[in-house]
Amino acid sequence: MSGYIEAQLIILCLSVIYAYAIFLPAASGQLNLGAAGFITLGAYTSGWLNASDGLGLPMALGIVLSMLFVGAIGFAISLPILRTRGVYMVLATFAFAEVVSGIAINMEFLGGAAGMPVDAHAPVEIVVAVAIAVVLFCFYFMSTRLGLALRSIHDDESVALLFGVNVRTARVVAFTVGGMLAGLGGAIYGHHYNYVEAQTFNVLLSIYILLYVLLGGTQTAWGPLVGAAFFTVLPEIFRQLAISMGSDWLADSRFIFFGMFIVLMMVVRPEGVVTRTMQDRCAGYLSGRRARAAAAGE
Amino acid sequence: MAGNVLAVAGLHKSFGGLKVIDDVSFGVERGSRTALIGPNGAGKTTIFNLLTGVYPVDAGTVVLAGSDITDIPSKDRVIHGMSRSFQNIRLMPHLSTVENVMLGQHARAHSLGNLLFPLGLISRNKWRAEAEAALENARLGTYPGEVVANLPYGVQKRIEVVRAMVSQPELLLLDEPAAGLNDVETRQLQELLEKVSESGVTILVVEHDMHFVRNLCDHVVVLNFGRKIFEGSPEEVHRSPVVLEAYLGTEESAPGEGAANAS
Amino acid sequence: MLLLQQLINGLMLGGLYVMVAVAFTLIIGMLNFLNFTIPALFMFAAMMMWATMTGNLPFGNDFLFAIFGEHNIWIAGAIVSIVSICLVSLIIERFTYRYMKAKYGDATEHALPLVSSLGFLIIFEHLVIGQWGSDPLQIESPFGDATFTIGTLIFSYPQVISLALSLAIVFLLSHVIRHTKLGRALRSIAERPDTATLMGVDVLRIVPVVYVITGLLCAISGILFTINYTSIDAYIGDTVATVAIAGMVLGGLGNVWGAVVGGLFVGILEVFSIYIVGADFVKVPIWGLLLLILVFKPTGLFGHTAIGKGKF
Repeated sequence: MSGYIEAQLIILCLSVIYAYAIFLPAASGQLNLGAAGFITLGAYTSGWLNASDGLGLPMALGIVLSMLFVGAIGFAISLPILRTRGVYMVLATFAFAEVVSGIAINMEFLGGAAGMPVDAHAPVEIVVAVAIAVVLFCFYFMSTRLGLALRSIHDDESVALLFGVNVRTARVVAFTVGGMLAGLGGAIYGHHYNYVEAQTFNVLLSIYILLYVLLGGTQTAWGPLVGAAFFTVLPEIFRQLAISMGSDWLADSRFIFFGMFIVLMMVVRPEGVVTRTMQDRCAGYLSGRRARAAAAGE
Repeated sequence: MAGNVLAVAGLHKSFGGLKVIDDVSFGVERGSRTALIGPNGAGKTTIFNLLTGVYPVDAGTVVLAGSDITDIPSKDRVIHGMSRSFQNIRLMPHLSTVENVMLGQHARAHSLGNLLFPLGLISRNKWRAEAEAALENARLGTYPGEVVANLPYGVQKRIEVVRAMVSQPELLLLDEPAAGLNDVETRQLQELLEKVSESGVTILVVEHDMHFVRNLCDHVVVLNFGRKIFEGSPEEVHRSPVVLEAYLGTEESAPGEGAANAS
Repeated sequence: MLLLQQLINGLMLGGLYVMVAVAFTLIIGMLNFLNFTIPALFMFAAMMMWATMTGNLPFGNDFLFAIFGEHNIWIAGAIVSIVSICLVSLIIERFTYRYMKAKYGDATEHALPLVSSLGFLIIFEHLVIGQWGSDPLQIESPFGDATFTIGTLIFSYPQVISLALSLAIVFLLSHVIRHTKLGRALRSIAERPDTATLMGVDVLRIVPVVYVITGLLCAISGILFTINYTSIDAYIGDTVATVAIAGMVLGGLGNVWGAVVGGLFVGILEVFSIYIVGADFVKVPIWGLLLLILVFKPTGLFGHTAIGKGKF
């Protein structure tokens, strides 16, 4: 695998992990613009747990512990944050991320503004494996009755309540598990690049992740996968094409097209690329073809 | 006499000093098909919202199947055996038909094992099978790949009834089920509700359409201006001068006279 | 005396934040979404100002120098900036508010214009970066360092004028909202867009007005920022907007005068914190405080009711 492809693959895998972290609350109708906060927490915690002047734990244990830690923080802040709705929740999660980044920059033992080197290295295989595991987990999670309850809350909270869904608990679970996944993503980031710097996990990152999720679609577990893949791979392909055509201007303008695409998406298909109906129809088509193939085989 | 599934006693509710429900008491007999009728603004929908716990009551008690549910939060009422449909259809737009019905099972399946069971991945499971059977029993399809909101109105109404039924309630509350349906759809709905009733579930329905009520129900409670003014069989209601006046007199008579009829 | 001087500097900086905070609060109060094109508009206005004053407009601006002369070119800059922002605001309106409704309404419906506005933020930032790069750009202040002193306190003329101007503009805006026919239409949309339509308010004609007003606020604030601080870059909008959002939250979402007080407050706080402890450290208490306000007192410090109700 060439270095370039590998670098792109890593970016894709990290984006997928982050996207699923934000997807879980979004599937129940909660917009979380604080992804960067959870990622920062995960990256610094696992880095510090692993560092020789930290606790010196093995990488895997450090990652698991940091996930649990970030999950605990997510749980603690979910209780107040989930009291807020709509614009208020967007702002509250945004504020949370700013607090975390402010703390990380001011912690001298975490390297402060200069950033923190991370000892153990997570090779590309681990990054890919973790991303696949996260995708599988989220597919499982959304297929459970809990997932069904989350999707019901997204559509009509009061009706879900009348059918016995414990709305508050379900939202807390989605937010907390989402936080854990973002923490995992941060930990993997730190261990792969062997360096963490709070400034890289800024508002723009949170915004991009939220965009992946909303553009991919929040109705099915395919949404974030498609969204993250689409919006990390496509601009890159575009850039390569433009360079091979010898137009640097076109290569640099890929983000402008990306922005235009977002605006147009909201006009023509606001529910995101993948919808539940689309998934049903694809599944119906596939199972229909299988049935036809079986019939032909007889 | 099988006794009452639902007993409402001395119910009061005011909104900002305006008495909307004033000392209403009635019982719904087990296995009956009871209707709650009354002119516009009589307080029918408010009673519904009090029964389902959307609003807290000011005074009075609501007893469902022997347990007092007056102060129980609305999410727990379904566990006590109460389920409802809505006047404006409130199916989940981004869930499939079967998933909508499966939401109705939630109150029976809230153990951790059931919550974490991957319904969507294992396509042959008892919950899905049950939901599909319930739809088939109501002569409905599963409509895969269809947006629920795009289904015909009558079909959506019946899906709502099926969704409420899979929670296995003792009492099914229906809020104006026939509103907005054409004749064919009304007949299909009535068939379904008769089937529901035969399976032993008690039905309490709020309805404007007297024709529908007379065809379906065996007992009628009449409200006017937040008070119960009459209770009896559909024939008795039809003959009752008090009810007749309430329906005809709403335009001429002042609220005070209407309330006086109740005594 | 040094502290008092810092207080004055903070007020001046806050004056610029005020207009951006009011722009945010107007859109949230009227249309109920967080408009991320505001940082883009601010940055774009500042950039147009810079480009006109330094002769970097892509279509060439020699004729502007010919008309206004070297000395008054800042007037041309302001005009170019304001006109272009008004046009851009109308384009943005066409693609955000109009498409607010999802096909089947749900909890994340309000995310649609938010996402479109993020799209515009990306477009504008990269347009500017593509044209002029992402490095800091400088202008020469058209007023030099014109100052006057009261006692030992130093006031710079452009700063005092911009503070006065921004307060005057907000006052005018608040007057328009309270007392004119346009204001009545705006308030009715803020309360309930559906009812407003029934009452004969042409929502699709009023909403562009809201966008142009917010655009103007951003433009004026961007222009004043450029003149006062003379150094800008493609990300200046994000930096300023983040602080302005803090000011808005402090004053309560949808509350115009709350945004004024909040904006001035965060300006003062920023200057003091840089002076005393350094800029990074102050992030924690500020955003922590905002988090608490959002969760426990979402109406802000001045205790108005929910969005759309009695906030002007």
